[in-house]
Amino acid sequence: MSAELSQKGQVLRAVNLSAGYDGRAIVSGITVEASPGKVVSIVGPNGSGKSTLLKSLVGVVPVLAGSVSVGESDITNVAPERIATLGVGYVPQVDDVFPPLTVKENLEIGGYLLERHLVGERITAVLDFFPRLKTMLSRKAGKLSGGERKMLAMGRVLMLTPSVMVLDEPTANLAPQVATQLLEEFIRGFADHGTTVLLVEQRAKAALRISDWTCVLGGGRVVLEGVPADLERDPVFVESFLGGGARH
Amino acid sequence: MSSFGFGLVSAAVLAIAAVGFTMQFAVTNVLNLAYGSIMINSAFVTYYVNTHAHVTPWVATIGGVATGAIVSWALNRFVFTPFQRRNLPPITIVMVALGMDLIGTFGLQAIVGGSYVSFQQSQGSEYHILGMFLSGLQLTIMGLAVVVLVAIHWLLRYTRLGKAMRATSANPNLARNSGVKTGLVISMTWLISGALSGLAGTVFAMNTGVFEATSAQLYIVMLLAAMFLGGPGQPYGAMLGAVTIGVATEISAAYINPEYKEVIAFLVLIGMLMFRPYGLFGSEKTA
Ligand SMILES: Nc1ncnc2c1ncn2[C@@H]1O[C@H](COP(=O)(O)OP(=O)(O)O)[C@@H](O)[C@H]1O
Ligand SMILES: [Mg+2]
Repeated sequence: MSAELSQKGQVLRAVNLSAGYDGRAIVSGITVEASPGKVVSIVGPNGSGKSTLLKSLVGVVPVLAGSVSVGESDITNVAPERIATLGVGYVPQVDDVFPPLTVKENLEIGGYLLERHLVGERITAVLDFFPRLKTMLSRKAGKLSGGERKMLAMGRVLMLTPSVMVLDEPTANLAPQVATQLLEEFIRGFADHGTTVLLVEQRAKAALRISDWTCVLGGGRVVLEGVPADLERDPVFVESFLGGGARH
Repeated sequence: MSSFGFGLVSAAVLAIAAVGFTMQFAVTNVLNLAYGSIMINSAFVTYYVNTHAHVTPWVATIGGVATGAIVSWALNRFVFTPFQRRNLPPITIVMVALGMDLIGTFGLQAIVGGSYVSFQQSQGSEYHILGMFLSGLQLTIMGLAVVVLVAIHWLLRYTRLGKAMRATSANPNLARNSGVKTGLVISMTWLISGALSGLAGTVFAMNTGVFEATSAQLYIVMLLAAMFLGGPGQPYGAMLGAVTIGVATEISAAYINPEYKEVIAFLVLIGMLMFRPYGLFGSEKTA
């Protein structure tokens, strides 16, 4: 992969974090740490608070207790536009592009914090990584297919050469091969390049394959965590996530 | 044919006004029903600069434009934003805006009284173009509308600020996650669209000739019709909607009673919405 797409990471850390909407906690007591060169994944059933957790890390949902930091900076309840300046790139689960803007304009907004004269060459670098987008630069993002749209959402985040990538179910609704490529080639690749990756992934098996550490969320709390090899041997985990019982 | 000509002039005024109005709704989600009162307040500032500083209305317009920009910005900053922060249903902001419109209009009336005034301005010589008789003033207003529409198109399409405005409109959280200071972008939107409301108020007053504090009170009807005709939140739609409504109302005014202008505007709107429920430019997603 291209060497300059993402950069050497910083530690993203949440300590004893509670967060939620309208003062009501959806997740609580969460301590999680993602470090450079590693993929940390979060799995758990629908509604367990995975998206809420990620949103609170990037400033979109209020932190009610505990703290969040990236590198040396405390980012607890810091505005999202400030967190972006620290090199944290976030791809939401839904609403991950600007539908009425063209592909090129989406990338330009991704590079909003760059000096103007760097934006053009940065777009070229991102397009070399996602060549599919090259042919659709003037198409509106709202008209892209699911896979193309996810590439654009990732591309937007890569515009700033992120040191930390926070990804919320990037493979949802993707064809299986595309999903596998995204996880095993691209996302694992960013981490291998030294970037910090925090990933929410519905499909536990696929998540374990590329993760260095995995947290299981249930009812807004971390109910289990460990290295993939250990989780794969945990009967409860196998029962609930790896096809023993309910499928997720 | 002459009513078509007048229609084009009214359409030009409406286009300038509707683009500012639509920008406010698209970028900040506020249906600013106080727009008409800001227009007429700005027109009065232009009038006072015109008559007291003895400069042409076009020079005096600087005062009107500044008024529109500052008043609109302040209205958002000190009234709409505090209400939006409290997560109230959108109808609350609409009611607040309606109240601000009444305060703006009747506050102005309390200050300037109820009598009609007009700018000190010549109409310019008469021109005969394509079977229409148009004054120099009317041609200037039409030219100005074209300049404004091109400038706004250029702003939204090609500038960093304009793209940030569209991004903020489409997905404010994602814009912030990309580093866009959406608060600043929204302030700039109110300043620019407010400047347009000030300009629109002045050309509206020029076009009607004589005006008083309540002259623009029903103008919001025309603005709503133009905006919804084009598809809410679509600046290009608003431009086309303004031309359609402007021409339709003037032509009908020539044959029916001019008092029914606003009714005609809404009839055109309702008729069109039966065929294109999301407006000429809108789609289900953007509405
Ligand atoms: N904007 C919101 N306002 C209030 N509650 C919300 C909001 N978004 C999500 N929730 C609630 O938070 C809980 C967790 O949702 P979410 O974080 O999306 O879970 P997951 O991503 O694990 O599926 C759910 O019960 C959901 O109803
Ligand atoms: Mg989720």
